[in-house]
Amino acid sequence: MIASARWRAAPARPRPFFLWLFLPSLAAALLFVAALCEVAQYAFRVFTPGSLEAGGFTLENFARLARPIYLSVLADTLLISLATALFTLLLSYPVAYAMVRAKSDFVRSLIMLLAVTPLFTGEIVRTYAWILVLGSNGFVNSVLKAAGLVNAPLTMLYTRFGVIVALVQFSMPVMIIILAAALAHVDRNCERAAANLGAGPAKVFRHVTLPLTLPGIVSGTVVIFAWTMSAFSTPQLVGGGKVLMISNLVYLQGLSSFNFPFAAVLSLLALAVAIGALGSMRPFVSRLERKAAVN
Amino acid sequence: MALRSAAFLAIGAVLLAATPLRAQNTPGQDKLVVDIWGGNFRDGANEAIAKEFTKRTGMQVEFITGGTIDRLTKAKINRDHPESDVTVTTSHVGALYVTEGLFEKLDMAKLPNAKDLFPVAIRSPYHIGLYSYVYTPAFRTDLMPAGYDIKSWKDLWASEVKGKLGLPDFDPSHIIIAAALLAGANAENWKVGIPLLEQLKPSIKAFYQSDATSQDLMKSGETPVQVLLSINAFHQMQQGIPIKIAIPKEGAVVGIDAIGIVHGTKHLDAAYQYLNVALDPEVQAKLCGIYRCGAMNEKAKLDPELAKLPGVFTTPEQWKTQAIVVDDATRAKLLPVWKDWFTENMMQ
Repeated sequence: MIASARWRAAPARPRPFFLWLFLPSLAAALLFVAALCEVAQYAFRVFTPGSLEAGGFTLENFARLARPIYLSVLADTLLISLATALFTLLLSYPVAYAMVRAKSDFVRSLIMLLAVTPLFTGEIVRTYAWILVLGSNGFVNSVLKAAGLVNAPLTMLYTRFGVIVALVQFSMPVMIIILAAALAHVDRNCERAAANLGAGPAKVFRHVTLPLTLPGIVSGTVVIFAWTMSAFSTPQLVGGGKVLMISNLVYLQGLSSFNFPFAAVLSLLALAVAIGALGSMRPFVSRLERKAAVN
Repeated sequence: MALRSAAFLAIGAVLLAATPLRAQNTPGQDKLVVDIWGGNFRDGANEAIAKEFTKRTGMQVEFITGGTIDRLTKAKINRDHPESDVTVTTSHVGALYVTEGLFEKLDMAKLPNAKDLFPVAIRSPYHIGLYSYVYTPAFRTDLMPAGYDIKSWKDLWASEVKGKLGLPDFDPSHIIIAAALLAGANAENWKVGIPLLEQLKPSIKAFYQSDATSQDLMKSGETPVQVLLSINAFHQMQQGIPIKIAIPKEGAVVGIDAIGIVHGTKHLDAAYQYLNVALDPEVQAKLCGIYRCGAMNEKAKLDPELAKLPGVFTTPEQWKTQAIVVDDATRAKLLPVWKDWFTENMMQ
């Protein structure tokens, strides 16, 4: 009764766009769920070679996941995603820092331009560029050979190293934007206070700036990790079939073999692993955030 | 206000749902719709076949394009209201169209030009080969040791090839069939060739995903030896890249792109005329001049420069001695099995 009176007493907040946004959102969500259900039902059906029609109920598609190749691809996907997220963070932080803290407007704009421009070129274009850079006769090997540092070209294409390098470059603009937003929100008075109390620049960075940007670091790392889990074109082209991630396997099974049931199983596995990995990061992330708050 | 907004949304949704995403192929439209790959494939078919068809019949041709699997999926979804009248696809994928009931059974009496075709062109009672090409070993003569040559598929196992070989990831059938033949078996008993295939692993440097990546790997020298599509190699040789295409003594694995009439078409007679025009010797010669492939009509007079290229078969003798042909139903059935085995055992 009291709650009801309170409800009536509270002035209704105007929500002029609620219906305009809610109904399309609901439609999009329903479509997404319907597509997911369609994929899920395929996962439990028999694949018949030479036919596009999936057969009756089976669990065999899931049993196949225990084969070493699929576990190895899963491990590679996680490893590459984690390495990409960490290296992207390490390389992006100094760029974001320089971009936010540069005194000159011109320098700030220039860094911004250089950091964000790659976003406007397609993934395929950027990946092809890396093929030219990392190839046996590519830029890196040509420089190394010209400098007399190597006799035979180093193998960088079709390796995990090559894939991670290309993915890191692909992910950096997004990470830089996230970190720059976090750095821009750091209260400079905190840093000045620490400096006034005798802390040197390195100590100020370690004990003030870095902890205050932890939310940005955490969200950027999680975003890039999740993004890389579904990477397709870069491992496809730079990996050249020698480095496979889950998306590449889904493609091979679905579009080369027409094995939609097993492609569906792999898709569900990728989704479950991504959700599981992000969920398992949560306690670690919370601990970091608590630590940042205490500092 | 909210009610009015909801009403607008509902009306909008109804209008959107009522608007077809793509114009259906209605009987009133006096156009023949041909379903084919885009780019050079569409342009070549337009130049060689469609223009001649329009000249003879007065009927315009419209092309709808897409990838092999996209088109197959669309054909399956639209089986009751087909978007096209004629489909061109790879012959073993054509076998899937046939098993799904997506092609009309052909009345050969309505295809007079079919009598001059090589026997291999009749892929099934439902689809006919339009032109041929081969998947065969080829290598960069400037990047391989002097004296290296490919006379047999077995030469891909030579020590000189170690770490230099490129294979397609989308279709391992060529190397699997070759290994089976080398082991004394055939496509159906392909498992006999598994030990040989496993020995080939150290030679493989990369797997290419498309014609474009095959050409990139060959041009950059990343994989100076490849099992590749002859048409791609011809194109690169024209650009001055020193490539030698081999026809091994066991033969080259033939690929055939085929044509069929879509089941339920409202333009059945016109579709037959289109097929007949496509199989005409002069049209075949023109088409193959554009695609740089082999004609299916034995009477097609190819340009002599084209006719002498390896894998462009112009005589029954060449078909008998240089071609490895696997029937489409077998290939369609075994390809997923081969693909699975290849992914699990040869890749990575």
